[in-house]
Amino acid sequence: MKLTRREFLMGSSATIGLLMVEGVLAATPRNPKSSAIKIRKAGPAAPSKGEWVPSTCQGCTAWCAVEIFVQDNRAVKVRGNQLSKANNGYCCPRGHLIPQQTYDPDRIKVPMKRTNPVKGRGVDPQFVPISWDEALDLVADKMIELRKNDEPHKFAYIRGRYSSTATQILYGALPAIYGTPNYFSHSAICAEAEKMGPGLTQGFFGYRDYDLARTRCLVTWGCDPVSSNRMVPATIKHLGDIIARGSLIAVDPRMSTSAAKAHEWLPIKPGTDGALASAMAHVLLVEGLWNREFVGDFKDGKNLFVAGAAVDEAAFAEKETHGLVKWWNIELKDKTPAWAEQETLIPAAQTLRVARMMAKHAPQTAVWMGPGAAMYPRGTYAAMAVHALNGLLGSIDVEGGVLQTTSPPLGAYPKRDAYLDEVAKKHGKGKKVDGRGAKDMPAMMNARPGSGVVTNNIANGMLKDPGAVKVLLSSWSNFNFSCTDPARWDKALAQLPFFAHMVTNASEMTQFADVVLPSTMNASEGLSVISNNGLTHGFASIQQPAGKRLWDVKQEETEVCWLLAAKLKARGFPNLYDYFANEFKDPETGKTPTNEMEFSEVLAKISSAPLWMPKEALKGDKLEGWADYRKKGIYNTQQYSFKKGWGGKFNTATKKFEFYSETLKKGLTEHAAKYQTTIDEVLKVSGYLAQGELAFVPHYEAPKRHGSYQDYPFEFVDYKSRLNREGRSANLPWYQEFKKMDTGDVSWGDVLKMNPADGAKLGLKTGDTVKITSPAGSIVTQLRLWEGIRPGTVTKCYGQGHWAYGRVAAGDYAKALPRGGNNNEILVDDYDRLSGSTARNGGFTGVRIEKA
Amino acid sequence: MPKYGMVIDLQKCVGCGACALACKAENNTRDRGDNNAHNWADFISTTEGKFPNTTQIVLPVLCNHCDVPACIPKCPVVPSAIFKTPDGFVLIDHETCTGCKACQQSCPYSTEALDDRSLAGETYSVISFNNKRKPAQPRWEDNTAMIPGCTSSGAEVAKAAGAPLPAMNGYESTETQPVRARGVFEKCTFCYHRVTHGLLPACVDVCPSKARIFGDLKNPKSEIAQIVKKQKYFRLQEDKGTKPNVYYINKYSARA
Repeated sequence: MKLTRREFLMGSSATIGLLMVEGVLAATPRNPKSSAIKIRKAGPAAPSKGEWVPSTCQGCTAWCAVEIFVQDNRAVKVRGNQLSKANNGYCCPRGHLIPQQTYDPDRIKVPMKRTNPVKGRGVDPQFVPISWDEALDLVADKMIELRKNDEPHKFAYIRGRYSSTATQILYGALPAIYGTPNYFSHSAICAEAEKMGPGLTQGFFGYRDYDLARTRCLVTWGCDPVSSNRMVPATIKHLGDIIARGSLIAVDPRMSTSAAKAHEWLPIKPGTDGALASAMAHVLLVEGLWNREFVGDFKDGKNLFVAGAAVDEAAFAEKETHGLVKWWNIELKDKTPAWAEQETLIPAAQTLRVARMMAKHAPQTAVWMGPGAAMYPRGTYAAMAVHALNGLLGSIDVEGGVLQTTSPPLGAYPKRDAYLDEVAKKHGKGKKVDGRGAKDMPAMMNARPGSGVVTNNIANGMLKDPGAVKVLLSSWSNFNFSCTDPARWDKALAQLPFFAHMVTNASEMTQFADVVLPSTMNASEGLSVISNNGLTHGFASIQQPAGKRLWDVKQEETEVCWLLAAKLKARGFPNLYDYFANEFKDPETGKTPTNEMEFSEVLAKISSAPLWMPKEALKGDKLEGWADYRKKGIYNTQQYSFKKGWGGKFNTATKKFEFYSETLKKGLTEHAAKYQTTIDEVLKVSGYLAQGELAFVPHYEAPKRHGSYQDYPFEFVDYKSRLNREGRSANLPWYQEFKKMDTGDVSWGDVLKMNPADGAKLGLKTGDTVKITSPAGSIVTQLRLWEGIRPGTVTKCYGQGHWAYGRVAAGDYAKALPRGGNNNEILVDDYDRLSGSTARNGGFTGVRIEKA
Repeated sequence: MPKYGMVIDLQKCVGCGACALACKAENNTRDRGDNNAHNWADFISTTEGKFPNTTQIVLPVLCNHCDVPACIPKCPVVPSAIFKTPDGFVLIDHETCTGCKACQQSCPYSTEALDDRSLAGETYSVISFNNKRKPAQPRWEDNTAMIPGCTSSGAEVAKAAGAPLPAMNGYESTETQPVRARGVFEKCTFCYHRVTHGLLPACVDVCPSKARIFGDLKNPKSEIAQIVKKQKYFRLQEDKGTKPNVYYINKYSARA
């Protein structure tokens, strides 16, 4: 059915714009003569010949199962694993960048050694190529020296991206057997604060799964899951259908893709997510829209939730939840949409309308909370407030709702306790340099104080005590770029005696390395087993070589670990090597590995053996053996069993979904007792506003802000590019070419987006070079005036601003000049201290904008 | 004889770019240069309205394989280097293309000198030109290394991989060169080399939202023919009389 011209013009404002755009392109109308077109047959053609090799993407944390097309031993192109259930045979744009990343000319092709002893940003390390033998000799010598001096705890390992199974070698066995407590994950600079939402309410400290095929109302809150966060291909697949059958609601200060497509966009003032969530909860209760099956009801059936009025706890009978009335009395009763409007700048009418919309589709309403609503000072409480809406809506663990996860059965590595000598036992359990568990850093992941990593605080720990770390090993990391206030990392690493970096590219962090051990590009060159979940299924996907390795590079967690262990053995410390060589046996043949490649295969086989040689039949996919697993590349579990936590089976202190978190209370009580102080005092020194009972319920805490409005008038919003392969793809021309696919962005550029009204006030226009200054520092970039951001708030994507990494990513690699600006340079080093997460969202850093 | 066409469902499209990247991988297109994007699949992107009533519309674009192509009559080569096949593909014969620009100049969906506005998705060109005097694949012909002795060069990677582009997709074709030489024009072939063997075009095959529907417009039972018959659609610049075979349905934004 063809649109009439009137419908064409009236139907969509978009098409009017498009006509204008087209007009620009076609300055002079042309009238083709159809008579001149002769039809002619084309000659033979055929698709390329080759084979699809299954592997795993790891371009973000979705860890999608993919297949790489291999022709003549070359990785050519990528698609999703056709058997995958979590990503249904598709990958997002990131996956398509794998061959480009594999064949990046700026990849490090051999081990390198620093010849310039001076270290600093912009100082040429004067790297020279060396052999693996020499490189590992250098590392092993340093490690042995520490053990000889009885200070193995001064060896630290920090992991960036890792294999979910093989990490137990480099992150597990090596520090334990060598004897250091200083091994750290990158996790806390990513999205750990998010986990506090489901963690402190339902005892699930993890990333939720979503049953998108049955969701009727999707609320993307502080994330843009069709671009980044998690389950990207799955969300891309289902978003259009959700729009068609129900409602899409986007809570985001900037117009993300989800926000652009949504029925309702709530451009919230950064950091006020808790206020909006409390107001929505208030509406759901006052209007009687909560889910009776999950939450329960008033004993006499009459809704006593009236704005401003306290309710008798005894009047309500809860079912799967705990503390609803307490939450109402402590936090919600006065949190009307009109109140929230003052904080969030979201009109009360919209909050009301959206809350009703969410209730209309409940329980097939999924509130998908992302880092934007949690990764800021005091973010734990915002995460709880946003996630608690799922509780009110009854969406927890139901079809179309918000789920916990399913994992495939994987094999564990042999026990290593017998290989820990006295030195390892003495030093392995000491204090960690990241400051977790300090009075003002509860870092209570899993509700256990002091259990969460505080990644970004490692640099502070090293600066405070310069002798604390003498030898650092790190893999697939770039903290001098990816952490807020990265100058601290520059300083800490410049004064570090010895640093060995295991990476694919000479990143910013690599510029401080003494030895560089070039890594395989694991999505196309590694061998391991990666497990994750999505769309109600868990999976274990293989990562294996697709094509031949072009360079003298080695897999850091398996091959390098084996070779390093051999070097340590040659120097009189055999324990690690003996553990690897004696205990790890091929599950089929019982053979022990004799070299690094065999070791890596044995590891992958041990991890995956329960999938392809199960002791009893599995409920998920059937696999015929190791060869079959490598050929198919994936094991999918059976579907998630819904209502897993219902019936008193949530992993909380009360076994219920806690609107009043006894789980948090327990953790805070323990932490306060450790310091012989009160919970109120702990919260105060950790920067929270809550005192008393408010500390145990999801609630709104006014945003913490570095920089006065007078000096730094704008809120700054940071977010991730849909093409970021965790910060490793900016050196690819295809990344730069399609940067424009990030809403409001410009290809080959890095633009700060500002509302045109602010531009007019400041006399700034699109294309101007501007300086963004915060209390932490300043960066220079291009300006784009854009209606996708509110006046008073500016936004820029994270990803550009590299001054190293490669010649495409950097403005000038040789001169250490950035392309655009790195957001982290202007973000203050601060934390959500209950989780230990690095703050990067919520407008916690004020900025000012000037013409540069 | 089928007549191929494509429908793009804008409600399903999320503007992720996977189609355009898969196209580059499938067709070995080079990086942008000399005012040519070399993106056979590309996008128009517009932001409309004033905050907070703002929306964004992304429109994937490609050669429309027109029924009445503006490009073919302008080709001075005899027989014309750019031609239409009986099943609807508009192809360029790279053996006979002289690089004269007539096709690019006459195509309403192309522009000879693509300017910086294309970097923001405001302009595009479905036809691109491979400069006569410059390398056809500059990234993979470059001989410089970032850290001498430690990192490689584009040319070294290509040599080690054993192909002009290390990730080259080596398909077979008569008129279309899988890797174009200097001095010829290039554009989307609707993946002629795939479609004639029962495969979908790469952009269609990889779309995570299944926003692209490809098929035979003449077969009334085909999904694409059903959509075109039943649903409202628009095509780009219909006023130019080109009768394009790429159709757009639904709205990108629920608020538009």
